[in-house]
Amino acid sequence: MQSLSSRLLVSVSVLLLVFFGATIAVLDTAFTEAGEQARRDILDGHLVALLAAAEPDDGDELALPERLREPRFQSIGSGLYAELRDAADMVMWRSYSALGLEIPAGVRPELGNHLFARESLEDGTPLLTLSLAVQWEFPDGSLKPYVFKVAESLDSFNAQVAGFRRQLFGWFAAVAVTMVIAFSMLLRGLLKPLRQIEAEITEIEEGSRVSLSGAFPTELRGVARNMNLLIDSERARSDRYRYTLDNLAHSLKTPLAAMRALLNDQQVEGFSGRFDEQIERMDEIVRYQLRKPSASVADNLVLQAVKVEQEVARLVDGLRKVYHDKRPEFEVNIEPGMQFRGDTGDFLELAGNLLDNACKWSASRVRLAVVPSVGARAIASGMVLTVSDDGPGIPQEAADALLQRGMRLDESTPGHGIGLAVVKDIARSYGGRLSINRSQELGGAEITVSIPPITSANSA
Amino acid sequence: MRLLVIEDDATLRESLTRKLGESGFAVEQAADGKEGLYFALEYPVDLAIIDLGLPEMSGLDIIREARKQGKTYPILILTARDRWEDKVDGLSAGADDYVVKPFHFEEVSARVAALLRRSGGWASSEMTAGPVTLDLSRQELRVDGEPIELTSFEYKIIEYLMVRAGQVISKAELTDRLYDQDFERDSNVIEVFIGRLRKKMDPENAIKPIETLRGRGYRFALERNQSG
Repeated sequence: MQSLSSRLLVSVSVLLLVFFGATIAVLDTAFTEAGEQARRDILDGHLVALLAAAEPDDGDELALPERLREPRFQSIGSGLYAELRDAADMVMWRSYSALGLEIPAGVRPELGNHLFARESLEDGTPLLTLSLAVQWEFPDGSLKPYVFKVAESLDSFNAQVAGFRRQLFGWFAAVAVTMVIAFSMLLRGLLKPLRQIEAEITEIEEGSRVSLSGAFPTELRGVARNMNLLIDSERARSDRYRYTLDNLAHSLKTPLAAMRALLNDQQVEGFSGRFDEQIERMDEIVRYQLRKPSASVADNLVLQAVKVEQEVARLVDGLRKVYHDKRPEFEVNIEPGMQFRGDTGDFLELAGNLLDNACKWSASRVRLAVVPSVGARAIASGMVLTVSDDGPGIPQEAADALLQRGMRLDESTPGHGIGLAVVKDIARSYGGRLSINRSQELGGAEITVSIPPITSANSA
Repeated sequence: MRLLVIEDDATLRESLTRKLGESGFAVEQAADGKEGLYFALEYPVDLAIIDLGLPEMSGLDIIREARKQGKTYPILILTARDRWEDKVDGLSAGADDYVVKPFHFEEVSARVAALLRRSGGWASSEMTAGPVTLDLSRQELRVDGEPIELTSFEYKIIEYLMVRAGQVISKAELTDRLYDQDFERDSNVIEVFIGRLRKKMDPENAIKPIETLRGRGYRFALERNQSG
């Protein structure tokens, strides 16, 4: 039951079965009832004819003529029989056709009443019988009860019903098979686009195709478009990994070369310090690469809602321990219930690095403010995170260099380490910006990270 | 002071143990999380250095368990993971500070000194009580501004007593904390060292920095000039 078409086919077959079954049952009942009614009417006609033919005989009994008008009463075993019984249920007369047969007496109807019944001959042939009990008035004025009974074998009727059923089943089976075949052909046509997508994805996996063709019915166009987005972002991601790895490998080569040169000449002045310097550099490079944003926001198909107050509280608690001796005074101002749409790790990295730097450089005060930013058509609000301190601030030159040229490791702002470079990368991956100013109130550095709201346009 | 180092990398663990030992600490070492937790709960520990990425049981779990069992000694975490997520997890679990790998030994030793001082309630690395000043970072003892020459063992004793100024420290505790585990123990040695310390710090017997409480132990008796 894995495939859509087999599911559809099975459900349609079940539906057809139920529908046809009901139809067959209704038709069959209608046919059988109509047939039986017709038989009863005929029997009634024969009975009336029998009554008309009955005459009192010479004695004081009723008699019927030797030959009746209906020829089927005259041929033996014709299937149509008649008899006349007296008050004691003795057979007074029996039609020629019933010669050698014993028609069961059956139930005697009330005087003046008709009674239809299903009975059977000794050999099991089913009969439909009609009995009529009458009070016959003789010319001499005496009354005598008699029962007239006509019976017809149901053999032919049953054969007729069976034939009808055979035909009915035959036709319906033919119709059902035709419908299932037609439906499965229709299904093949309908599901063709799905198979096409599957084939195209296989081609993409094999590398013989770049993206899905887009020539799909309306219902599937969205799926195809999202699939293409996913493929694109996956490709961009792997490009970025390749680029990062490439970058990492190349940036590690220089310190490695320097270390080799130092090792070859261990007599050089300040050997261990210079060696250590290279290790430091390699470590910084690795740390920077490891702390870079986990992904760009476009790749994050599912964004978490990060509870800003809670995460900042954890950070501040931790930093209070780390800066236990310095005891910076934290002023935290967060819009209540504020959420950041993104990765928790990225948020902690943003706020953690900024707070850590602020604690490091502040004289005594560190201030953090987070407010949401809202734009038109936003489905999730953005965030403006500002961290300021009362330290010496960041020299304009260093700030400009960091913001304009883009960060190179060997140029990282002294003292602010790789933290700001990481913050800048993360902000950029969310489509945001980093700005470095001087705090009006506290006099030290004021660093603002603005993450734009997520709009339906850039999430699609 | 008795330190516990839980680190699975043998080179790093041994180097830390050796260098901390050289700085005058008695060091217990554990190579995996389960062993580490046992030491952390069952041994007298003044400070634990715990790597976060350990086999058998994570450093975070050790910290949580130790805190749950009421252990209050400072914990310094070592982490190879530099992301704030990991640091915050460690600090929230109950650690007091972190050092990111790779590190210089001096960094670890400075954090250890700061944490120990802090746990004794001292706010700066220069602890002053009356005329006595102990500089933890330079491992130097001064009385009335004059540096006093001390052997490393004498220094360990005065450091232990002074960090816990005001508390009564039993002879057994001093032996316990100041010797390595398999060192020969002899409580008479402590008496001898205390005697020498008194002579060096207070030749005229005027300031009486170390008080002897019969049958109970010793106490650094001078009032702190500043406390954290």
